[in-house]
Amino acid sequence: MTPKRRRRRQEAFLPYLLMAPALVLLAGILYPFSVGIYYSFTSYWLQYPKRFRFVWFDNYISLFEEALFDRALQFTLGFTVAAVILQVGLGLAVALFLHGRIPGRAVLRALMLLPLMIPPVITALMWKIMMASTNAGIINYLLSFLGLGPVNWFGSPWGAIASVLIIDTWGNLPFVALILLGALQALPTEPYEAARVDGASPAAMLRYITLPLLSPFLILAGTFRAMDSLRVFDVIYATTMGGPNDATTNLHIMAYQFAFQWYQIGKGMAQAVVLLILVVLVSYLLLRLWNRASERTVQ
Amino acid sequence: MTPRRSLVHIGTALAAAALLFWTVFPFLWILLTSLKSPGDIISVPPTFIFTPTLDNYAALVIGEQRGQYSSTRPDFPNYFLNSIIISGGAVLLSLAAGIPSAYALARFDFPLKGALAFTFMSFRFVPFIAFVIPLYLVYQQLGLYNTYSGLILAYQLITLPFTIWMLRSFFQEIPLEIQEAAKIDGCTWFGVLTRVILPLSMPGLAVTIILGFIFCWNAFNYPLMLAGRQTFPVTVGAIQFISYEQVLWGQMAAATLVSALPQLILSLMVQKYIVRGLTMGAVK
Repeated sequence: MTPKRRRRRQEAFLPYLLMAPALVLLAGILYPFSVGIYYSFTSYWLQYPKRFRFVWFDNYISLFEEALFDRALQFTLGFTVAAVILQVGLGLAVALFLHGRIPGRAVLRALMLLPLMIPPVITALMWKIMMASTNAGIINYLLSFLGLGPVNWFGSPWGAIASVLIIDTWGNLPFVALILLGALQALPTEPYEAARVDGASPAAMLRYITLPLLSPFLILAGTFRAMDSLRVFDVIYATTMGGPNDATTNLHIMAYQFAFQWYQIGKGMAQAVVLLILVVLVSYLLLRLWNRASERTVQ
Repeated sequence: MTPRRSLVHIGTALAAAALLFWTVFPFLWILLTSLKSPGDIISVPPTFIFTPTLDNYAALVIGEQRGQYSSTRPDFPNYFLNSIIISGGAVLLSLAAGIPSAYALARFDFPLKGALAFTFMSFRFVPFIAFVIPLYLVYQQLGLYNTYSGLILAYQLITLPFTIWMLRSFFQEIPLEIQEAAKIDGCTWFGVLTRVILPLSMPGLAVTIILGFIFCWNAFNYPLMLAGRQTFPVTVGAIQFISYEQVLWGQMAAATLVSALPQLILSLMVQKYIVRGLTMGAVK
């Protein structure tokens, strides 16, 4: 072998060599994961190890017969739709607002990072303190000035749903707002100048220039939020634990309960796989939409 | 000024005030709560004026029984230390494995490149429970349950894909010409990496480290299932103030602020890059 050829062969192996440490870690992660997928086809129950056997799709079929699964699926999807609409809508409003000439804009922008970057479970605990359902809770006290309440935040089904939604929105609204603000600041100025010459109103410019140009970013922000809302866990765990009466039990919490409260590993994994498929499906559809929207704006 | 314009000004100011209130008030209220005695915390209506006390913070640090300030969770300083050890360890391991990988994905062409990059990205889609159930079982067998090394390995699910994608996007921004010039001067791939790529992407490296640390610090569900009392980080530690008998509101408020403090400082340091980090480089 000539030295040159040997060198070329080394070059061919080099990328794999460079990736070797990460691939070892990847294998270490994928091994338990694939074992987990296998368990979803078995009757693995930690308390009854002797009953372990391969049951094909029994876990998946039994899920769809479970009344709670139906409700958890409904809550998962309903929560996701509500959270995405609320957060993208308000995020757009905040981004448009901060894009204007606002006193103290830089300070507001920096402060908005704080809810975004602190641990979600800590956010949940902060709001748990504020949403105490007695009159000692500050939120109910403030609402009383508006003639509202007192709301039984975590004790009533709708109160619990609302509180999880509010807490999730407080933590993630800045994410959407910052993406959209960045996009707004990078928009081309020519269309606006042309529209101004034509005497277009600000509302018309928003409707016919800003929103179409912004649409890929709206969809992308919505995709990220949908992915996370489908599997929201920390906030629910720290506040309602899925209650009251399972009103805030989503697929993630339900899978957790199956696996770690009742030790039904097989059923818990089947739930996890269903949730994973749901996340992949929704992200795939939204990313396709995003692709189409970005192609349209480039044209 | 016309009346209409001044109305717009007032509206803008009100909206700015509302946004400020919505963002900051929770922090202020928790700060006040953390400075209250148990009696003030449950007063109806809530008080804004009271004699502040540092007892909640003292209970957090010392954890001793002090009359009605009994802390049932005396090891919060330990949780804080655990968070530093686990997050720091996870970031270091991810850097060690991620730098060469990011370099390979940014600067080499090889058959499996796209597939490998996508595989790492795909972790972002998996609900944590799908990883944590099998990890929990494997860790019990291997003795990794409730150990730092077990948690650092599990946290690779958070930091490794992130590190690889972020560093790859930073490495790709370095002009190819500089790299080629270094090669002509006789640099091997290792020389290119250590003398050209890494020094030129120091800001990107710093951002990746800080954001990776923040994401690890924020992790709750992996340690909830894989850690025990000796290795709990602050996120799991803070939730221990809720017990069946009572919620220690004051200490929990103090604990949430202490847990959030590193994030508040770190996120201000990297504010320009946060969106890029949260979208794994998809939005710059």
